[in-house]
Amino acid sequence: MSGFSLFEKTSSFNGVYITLMVNRMQMLYFVIIMPVFLIYPYMIWIIIIVGLLSQINIFMLSKWFNSNYASRGYEGFAELFGERSVRLLSFIGLGFILLKLTVITLGYVEVTQHFIFPSLNTNWMILFILLICWYVCSHGMTPTIRFVVIAFLSTAWMFLLLFNFLFQPFNSIHDLFPLLPYEWTMKSWKAVVFIFSALSGPEYLVLLAPWFNTRKKVLKYMTIGNVFTIFEYVFLFIASLFFFGPHYLEENRFPMMEMMRYLESPVFERIDMILISVYLVNFVFAISIFMLLFYGATRIALKRTKDQTTKSGFAVCCSIVSICLFINNELLWKKATNQNILLELEIWAGALTYLLIPLFLFISLRRKGRV
Amino acid sequence: MNHKHAKIIFVIFVNIIVLFGCSPIVEKNLVEEIAPVTFWSIQKGEDENFRMSTLIPPLVKEKKRLLSVQVDLLKEGVKGFNLKYYRELKVGQLRMLLISDEIAAEGISPLIDTILTDPDISKRMYLVIVKGDFDEYINSQLGVQEDLDYFLYRMLKHYDNQGKMTVVNLHEFMKALHSPTHSPVLPVFEAGNENFQYQGTGIFKNDKLIETTNNLEEQIFQLLDNDHFLKYLTIRDLSFVLGHVKADVQLNIDKAYSELKLNVQLNGRLDEVGREYDLLTREKLSSFESEIESYLEKQTTEFLKKLQENKVDPLQVGKYTLGPFSKPLDEKEWSDKWGRMEVKVDYDLKLQPLTDIKND
Repeated sequence: MSGFSLFEKTSSFNGVYITLMVNRMQMLYFVIIMPVFLIYPYMIWIIIIVGLLSQINIFMLSKWFNSNYASRGYEGFAELFGERSVRLLSFIGLGFILLKLTVITLGYVEVTQHFIFPSLNTNWMILFILLICWYVCSHGMTPTIRFVVIAFLSTAWMFLLLFNFLFQPFNSIHDLFPLLPYEWTMKSWKAVVFIFSALSGPEYLVLLAPWFNTRKKVLKYMTIGNVFTIFEYVFLFIASLFFFGPHYLEENRFPMMEMMRYLESPVFERIDMILISVYLVNFVFAISIFMLLFYGATRIALKRTKDQTTKSGFAVCCSIVSICLFINNELLWKKATNQNILLELEIWAGALTYLLIPLFLFISLRRKGRV
Repeated sequence: MNHKHAKIIFVIFVNIIVLFGCSPIVEKNLVEEIAPVTFWSIQKGEDENFRMSTLIPPLVKEKKRLLSVQVDLLKEGVKGFNLKYYRELKVGQLRMLLISDEIAAEGISPLIDTILTDPDISKRMYLVIVKGDFDEYINSQLGVQEDLDYFLYRMLKHYDNQGKMTVVNLHEFMKALHSPTHSPVLPVFEAGNENFQYQGTGIFKNDKLIETTNNLEEQIFQLLDNDHFLKYLTIRDLSFVLGHVKADVQLNIDKAYSELKLNVQLNGRLDEVGREYDLLTREKLSSFESEIESYLEKQTTEFLKKLQENKVDPLQVGKYTLGPFSKPLDEKEWSDKWGRMEVKVDYDLKLQPLTDIKND
C-alpha cells in the first residue's frame, strides 16, 4: 500500500498559510447567521472586545508553536502529557471535531436548500459535499493545507460586495443607535458566547503544527488573520444593521444571504446563487481538514500511530462521518435557529474548546518549563 | 486501483444518477414550458378572499391575455394560474405586486409574509396600491399598448430614488414596518377604464392603509422626506409653479420630546406665475417669497397635525429621538409623545426669478 500516506510532510508551509487558515476557519457557518444573534448595534463593541479576548488565546497558541514540542506533532504531545492521556484527549476531541463538522456541513446544506434547491432532499447535498471533501482529503494533509489559498482567494473578496449596503438611499445613521447597551440580558450573554464560538477554529492548528516551518513570527501571522476576521465581522454586522435596521434584523434567518439576494447585477438575476455556490469552497476546505483530523484522532485513540495510513481505514472514517451526518440531518437538525439542539451544543462546544485548549497547553508548557 | 479508475467510476456514477431519471432535482425549467410573470394584481374577490390576476405570456411574442383566479389564499392563486394555463408560471421575475386599496385598508401583512418566505421572489419587488379596477384597465389596454406590464415596471424603476413620486420596494416596506417609529408608505395609483394615474402616497398605520395624501400634501411629503427634491412644485391656491425645488430639512426635537422644530430651506426657480402683476422687482419677488413661505408653513403644520392625530410617522421624525447614548423609546411611548408634540414649522425660500429682475 505504498503511495497512500495522508499525513506525510512533503513540504512545510510558511506563516502566510497560518494567517489564511486562522481567518478562513473563523469565517464558516456562524458568520452567515451571526447578525441574528447579535441584533443590537452596541454589539459592535462586543465583537471588538471578544476579538481582543481571542487575541489572548492566539498569544497562548503562539507560545505552543514556539515550544519545541509543537513541531514533533504526536510525539510532542505524548512527551508532554503521556501517551495514555493523549489517547484519552484525542478520543474526547473526536466528539468535538465531529460536532463542528456536523454543524458547519448541515448549516451550509440548509442555506443551499433554502436559497438554491428548495425541493432537493438534503441528504443528496451532504453526499455530494462529502464526495468533494473526500477527494480533497485523499490527496493528503499537505495539499489540503495548500487548498486554503484557493479557499481564501475564492471567498475573501465577497465582503467587498457588501460595501453597496453602506450607501443605500434608505440608510440612516440612526440605524446604528444606541451605541451603548441600555440593558443586559441573558440573550446578550449568549451573543458573547456566540461570537467567541464563531472565532474558534485556530485552536485546531496546534494539531497541524508539524506542517508549518515558522517558529518566531507565528504570533504576528496569527494576529493578522484574527484581526482581519474581526474587521470582517464588524463590517458585516454594520452592513446588515444598515440594511435591515435592528428591528427587522430579528425576523430574518439568513441575513447575509438576504443581503446578497438584494444585490443587483446586470447579467445575473440571482447573484446569491453564485455566491453561495462559491462559498462552498471555504466549507470544503474546512470539512476536509476536520475529516483528516478526525481520521488522525481515531488512529491515535486506537493506538495505531506507528502504522501506515490505509485506504480502508480512511474510508471507514469517512463513512462514519457521513453516516453520522445523515442521521443528524434526519433526526436532530431542526430548521429553526432557536430550537436547534446541535447548533446550541456547537455554540457552547466551540467556545469551550477555544477557551480550554490554548489555556491547557499554555499552563502545561509553563509547568513543564518550571520542572 | 489508481486515481484514473476512481475518476472514471465517479463520472459514471454521476451520469447514472442524472441520465436515468434519478435526478434529485424535481423542478424543470425548460424555456418552452415556463412563463415568468412580471406582476400580480390582487383585488378583493366576490365570493373568495382575493381575485388574483396576471398578464400572460409576458415575454414570448404571443397574444397577451389577462388571467385571473378567485382564491382564498395567495399561493393557492399561484397554483390556480398553473392549472388554468398551459405553461408553468414562474415567480422569479416578479417585479410588481399591485394590491387594491380595499385589501390594503384591512392590512397587508398576511400577503407580504407569504411572499417573503419565497426565496424566488426578489426583495426588490415594487409594491403598489391601486384604487379602482386594475383588471379593467389592463383589459382595455391589451390591444392598444404592447408590453404594458414591462413599461409599468420601467416607470417605477425610473422614479425609484428620484424624489418625484414615492416608489417603495418590498424590503424598504418591511424595514419601515418593523421599525417602532417609522410608518410605512406606498404609492397609490388610480386605475380607470383608460387611465392609470399616480395619486399620492398612501400612509400606513402598522400594515393598514389609513390615508392617501392629496396633491399639496404629496408635494410637501416629497420635499420633507423622499429625496427632498421636486421638479415642479405647483401651488394652485396662489397660482405659482416653482421648478427644481431642493429642500434642506432640519429637524430638532427637544429633550422632553414636547416640541418639534422643522426648518426647511427651499431653493428653486419661479417657473410660472399664473396671475397679473406689473414688474418683477426685487420687492415683488421677496413678497412672493414670503407669501409662499407662510402658505407652505400653514399647510405643512396642518399636514403634520393630521399625521399626529392619526399617530403615524411617515416622515421618520421618530428616528431623531435616537441618540448614541440614550435608551430608545418603544413604540407606544413614541406614539404617545408624537401625538402630543407641538410643531413649529419654518420655511426659508430662495427663488430665482423668471427673467432678470428690473430695478424700477
